[in-house]
Amino acid sequence: MEDFEQQLRNALGRKQQPPTFEAKVFAAVAAQRSSRSVFWRWATEVAAVVVIASGFWMGYQHEIQQRAGEAAKARLEIALKITVTELSKIQKTVRTSTEEE
Amino acid sequence: MIAIRTVFILCITLASLRAQELKLPPSLDRLAVKATEVVDVTLDANLLQLASRFLSDKNPDDAQVKKVIAGLKGIFVRSFEFEKAGEYSESDVASLRTQLHTPAWSRIVGVRSMKSSESSEVFVKTEGGKIGGLAILVTEPKQLTIVSIEGAIDPDQLNELGGHFGIPKIESDSKRKDNGNRKDQ
Repeated sequence: MEDFEQQLRNALGRKQQPPTFEAKVFAAVAAQRSSRSVFWRWATEVAAVVVIASGFWMGYQHEIQQRAGEAAKARLEIALKITVTELSKIQKTVRTSTEEE
Repeated sequence: MIAIRTVFILCITLASLRAQELKLPPSLDRLAVKATEVVDVTLDANLLQLASRFLSDKNPDDAQVKKVIAGLKGIFVRSFEFEKAGEYSESDVASLRTQLHTPAWSRIVGVRSMKSSESSEVFVKTEGGKIGGLAILVTEPKQLTIVSIEGAIDPDQLNELGGHFGIPKIESDSKRKDNGNRKDQ
């Protein structure tokens, strides 16, 4: 019985940790923290690049759209000018011939 | 089965609508080489929509143009100016005339001068009692002009554009009458 009690005491008793244990735990926590911070730094950098690139892309698209719109407006002006001029010429000719009659 | 039939009918309807659009003959492209001055404007529905976005509602001229083009599906202009007469022939516009002599189109004005060999014609396409298109064909010995406007167009609104948007001012009938009355007095 005494033997058994002694064995139980030994098993449940407080053991002295080796001196390197604490250092190992701190090192593991530090490594985990460092890998997390690398990930977040990397993610932030990628996000910044994406935001800047999409900003440039949107600006470029806006510029293209602006130029296309201005060109379309100019073409519309020419088309309407020719149409109205031709119609007015025809109108004038019809009027002149009607007046002559 | 009903769905297939509906799609088939829809396709035929769309094809017939498409067929009513005026097709500018490809021979016109060849004339561009001989011409001294060429104006080639093609504005389809997308480009008209784009141009419309660049017309300001605050500017009265722009607003008026916006109103005119609101119902349009396309504007196509081909104008050729030649150095000498005889650079183009009637066959170059024959296919266009054939399209314009279909029941969908009606000639509303036709002016022909034997002296100057000039001919001007205005055609309108009617769809359900409304104007659904306008075509102008002007042939002069040294000049050929074709204008095709697809969509709901009001010729009076076009006239009102005169004096705005860089378009020369047109003297309307009412103003002419007014001027005439003033001169009579």
